[in-house]
Amino acid sequence: MANQHAARAARVLDTATKRGAAYADVQFWEGTSEQLFVQNGVVRGVDSSTTVGYGVRALVDGSWGFAGSDRLDDGGLDATAARAVAIAKASTRIANRIRAVTPTDKYVDTWSTPLEKDPRSVSLSAKANHLLTAEKALHVDKSIVVGYAFTFGEDTIKEFYSTNGSAIRQRIVQTGAGVGCNAVGGGDAQARGGPGDFGLYQGGGWEVVDRADLIRNAARYGEEAVQLVKAPVLPETTADMILTGAVLNLQMHESIGHPLELDRSLGWEANFSGISWATPDQVGKLKYGSDAMTVYCDNTLPKGMATVGYDDEGVKPQRVTMIENGVLRAFESSRDTAAQTSLPQTASVRAQDWASVPMVRMTNIVLAPGEGTLEDIVADTKDGVLMDGIRSWSIDDHRLNFQFGPQLAWRIQNGKRTKLYKKPTYTGITPHFWGSLDRVAGASEMVAWGTPNCGKGEPEQSGRTTHACSHARFRNVTMGVKADA
Amino acid sequence: MPNAHDALALAKRALSYVKGADQASVAVNVSDASYSRFARNYVVQNIGSLATTVSVNYVKGKRIGSSTTGDTSDAGLRAVAARAADVASRVPANPEFVSLPKPGTATGHSKSVFPATASASPETRIDKLQSVFARMERSSLNSSGYTTTQSLASAVVNSLGLSAAWEGTYAGLEIKAIGERTSGYADFWTRDYGALDAAERAERAASKATVSNEPADFKPGTYTVILEPPAFVDCINNLYYGFSLGSIKENQDSWMIDRIGKHVFSPNLTIVDDWSHPLVANQPFASDGAPTKKVVLVEKGVPKGYVSSTYLANKFKEANTGHDGYPINAIVMPGTKSREQLIAETERGILISRTWYTRPVDPRTCTITGLTRDGVYLIENGKLTKTLKNFRFFTSMVSALKDVELGNKLYRSESSDAPQTLLVPDVKIAKFTLSAQTSFA
Repeated sequence: MANQHAARAARVLDTATKRGAAYADVQFWEGTSEQLFVQNGVVRGVDSSTTVGYGVRALVDGSWGFAGSDRLDDGGLDATAARAVAIAKASTRIANRIRAVTPTDKYVDTWSTPLEKDPRSVSLSAKANHLLTAEKALHVDKSIVVGYAFTFGEDTIKEFYSTNGSAIRQRIVQTGAGVGCNAVGGGDAQARGGPGDFGLYQGGGWEVVDRADLIRNAARYGEEAVQLVKAPVLPETTADMILTGAVLNLQMHESIGHPLELDRSLGWEANFSGISWATPDQVGKLKYGSDAMTVYCDNTLPKGMATVGYDDEGVKPQRVTMIENGVLRAFESSRDTAAQTSLPQTASVRAQDWASVPMVRMTNIVLAPGEGTLEDIVADTKDGVLMDGIRSWSIDDHRLNFQFGPQLAWRIQNGKRTKLYKKPTYTGITPHFWGSLDRVAGASEMVAWGTPNCGKGEPEQSGRTTHACSHARFRNVTMGVKADA
Repeated sequence: MPNAHDALALAKRALSYVKGADQASVAVNVSDASYSRFARNYVVQNIGSLATTVSVNYVKGKRIGSSTTGDTSDAGLRAVAARAADVASRVPANPEFVSLPKPGTATGHSKSVFPATASASPETRIDKLQSVFARMERSSLNSSGYTTTQSLASAVVNSLGLSAAWEGTYAGLEIKAIGERTSGYADFWTRDYGALDAAERAERAASKATVSNEPADFKPGTYTVILEPPAFVDCINNLYYGFSLGSIKENQDSWMIDRIGKHVFSPNLTIVDDWSHPLVANQPFASDGAPTKKVVLVEKGVPKGYVSSTYLANKFKEANTGHDGYPINAIVMPGTKSREQLIAETERGILISRTWYTRPVDPRTCTITGLTRDGVYLIENGKLTKTLKNFRFFTSMVSALKDVELGNKLYRSESSDAPQTLLVPDVKIAKFTLSAQTSFA
């Protein structure tokens, strides 16, 4: 891959330096995206889009300024570099600020998402026909009033340059697909879909759509939605609970991934999505969960949505142990946040797009596998509930008190599924809940579940994260909580 | 600064490059947005971005393709038009499609551009924040939040002769004041940055954080609550999903189903969607250019109307209200009492300042769950007597709004999950279920 924006980058960095930046970097983005959406046998929307722009970071006397623009002419490049410096200078007027660290690393490299099947090799009509077939498979009964199927694809070239001499070109390809439906009857409406929480999203090409197995899953979701409308509501109970990966990955997202973002723990996110019950001074001491709980942050993870060669401040990623046998070991961090705590830097900085400032994001979180399969865990459960799919989720702004509403629940008695329930809920407090983790299924059933739209920041940015997990069992969980009780 | 004239000219230029379509439309959006974000009483992110998007819809028979670009050069516009045409040629026909919207103009006018916002510099924003930090440091409080100034322009043209353009400014400040064991919140959203008194907002946030430094436990249950606007807007926004033709006729998961025309809510509750209200002053057309109509959603407790897009209005042969699916200019009409009166007339209840992570659990009953944050207070005999730890709530909004009193002042309120412009007063709800309490305030 040849660099396309080296001359423009040189102009930007030169302008920023002349204007007073002690350090500056610029990242150019050239993105193409394609989205198809089918509903009730109709191709409702097909969008094929492009975007080109760049974001400039300038560091002046320990304060950052950021400016984004899609003006690629010389005047636009100069104005954007000058704007980043002017913004940084304005921040230096705050007396009691903590000064940012000046980057020193330099990389000259290229990197690409590994692809098995380039999405560009599949025709648009073939993609549409695949979705029409999958969507049709949902309609197993007239109570299915709405069915839908979709694919999502992004192919982005990023070029990063810094005043330290870094020149990094990356091609990042991400793909997603999902299918789902609404069934109605008896004054009730029940949604069922997936795979995962809202589809399978991974780093990679069209092979991700193949993995999503939409047609086979659609038939199952349709049948289950019809059954759910007629099923009773899960009654209040406290028992062992098995979460499939489709639920567990979102539980990891909300109660592990977010609380271990170091900027959040330092209070940078307090006004919006809150702070964290876990703090840097507790590293090595805090018992986050049971001995069965080991979690990694791995931005080199195959199929990860956050997998890159370099993060958006030009740092090379690695795998870091966040929680080891239940004990807190590290946070997801940036240069600046790591420097404030003496914790390791995890290359967890991402921007939504060229117009957005890079910041600490949850990236790829991995729950280390145990042994056996989901069916082994079910067989090993005397009295419990198995939850699958996602309907609703909510957690407090310290990331402690949560309430999730999966799409369905099966009662497990003596190792067998005995009865289907709808509208299940479960609730807990993060360290108690993860402290009750007693079994994780093995690596053979692990899936890298990606999320394409994790919200964080002001202005809010949509982040790409992955939670790789199999399935897990938790002891003595409160389930079936009711509204207006 | 982005402006309607230039946006419209760009849209027309892009449309001129569309060849061979039966129908076509172009939408242009331009934004110049700045944000100064702060934490621990200093600025942690300070940014500005200038962006333009041009979206082309190409219709050939009933085949439709769309494409978006940020490249506004002639070559870029030719390419996006060609790409939309190419997509349309490769996808199956959509038998539901009837037509792009015909020409029309929304009635009404509202001032949406204010020079104080358009001309705000990085120094202007830092000046506002200096007064916030000074107030926080006086009470040994930390702060977190942001201030923003934005200039926006949009335009839509189509081959049927529709032509619509708008420009506006937008600004705001959010402050979370953080004490050792408590926090307080204040915000202000406006089109006129000059109307923002940052010091007054800082005082409000700081005073809420310092009512008490010893938040108390309190037994969860069903109580009378007063929701201040940031809390009310977050909760009622879940109701707004149901006011849509799509959720009623297509997804069939709206709480409105079987309730239209019935006395469902308190007779004190009237909700309208009105882009032209001076505190809203929104774009008067949908993303496809269809003019946005004023819609009465609830009148004296009776659900009456809902909103629709061009696509669904054509599909279900209903009126096109010129909305992109949901009400985006919803206003809960104010009542007669001040916040102080609502509190003074409450024998025992709970005042909730703000909520967080509110999510729908059951759309047919509009059952929601979420959490309180940044100021929860016990009301006893008409007075605030204690700061309480936070609660999780779990309640049906259809049930909760059966018995309400409304404050007499409208606030423009935003929430992280509500990009719309929503106006609400304070609300006193007779029965609201708090299902659990957290260990912190």
